[in-house]
Amino acid sequence: MARMKFLCDADRCIECNACVTACKNEHEVPWGINRRRVITLNDGKPGERSVSMACMHCTDAPCAAVCPVNCFYTTADAVVLHSKDLCIGCGYCFYACPFGAPQYPRVGNFGSRGKMDKCTYCSGGPEVDLSVAEYEKYGSNRLAEGKLPLCAEMCSTKSLLAGDGEMIAQIYKERVIKRGYGSGAWGWKTAYRETIAI
Amino acid sequence: MRHEDETRKDDTGIGRRQFFRTLGGGTAAAAAAVAAVPLTPTEAQAYDPGNTETRSRYRETDHVKAFYRTNGYETLKK
Repeated sequence: MARMKFLCDADRCIECNACVTACKNEHEVPWGINRRRVITLNDGKPGERSVSMACMHCTDAPCAAVCPVNCFYTTADAVVLHSKDLCIGCGYCFYACPFGAPQYPRVGNFGSRGKMDKCTYCSGGPEVDLSVAEYEKYGSNRLAEGKLPLCAEMCSTKSLLAGDGEMIAQIYKERVIKRGYGSGAWGWKTAYRETIAI
Repeated sequence: MRHEDETRKDDTGIGRRQFFRTLGGGTAAAAAAVAAVPLTPTEAQAYDPGNTETRSRYRETDHVKAFYRTNGYETLKK
């Protein structure tokens, strides 16, 4: 059984935020929140790195462990989803998540912050596949359409990889063997000369 | 002074300590009565949307294969 994974090739990410925009548009994510974001380390300095982050769909998800209403479940594709009908907006999952994936459409405590929203790996929710109710609550279900998450599919530098974990690991290994990694990567010394080593 | 506060009685004639002792005894009797009633344990159930919604949706369609092919180097293009 294929396990769905995201992998961001930090040597390729140029912080264009196309993945963020694509996700927000595809799922009509409410104002003020993003399911995906680009994090930049050492911004503005030689050797800066950008990584596109969203829900990592953990195997033993801490959000599911702390949820007081048990609204999380894991699909056969190893995607962590949740039911917005059960969510009470308590915010515990936000504190438990090491990636800051759970987001809330409003500011406030407990129920006043609204139902939690997070990356669904473009695979909808517990409603009937490709139904209007599913789209309104969770966004589009591209996996059911035989596609992959849009953030990865439209990455202009092919930095963000998504799909079967074994397949994208193979793609990444092949890249590292071919071009190197970090300061050993192709073009690094042209850009930063030989003074930077990471 | 302190001893006087603890033993002082109000207009009803009941001291503060005596009042709580009386109350504690009553509570213990009530707790014993509740414990005598057999409780039916209710186990917390995790949300289970059913097999239909947790089934695998990933399929290696031509669309997905094209994604792998365009992201990989030469070995995946063969």
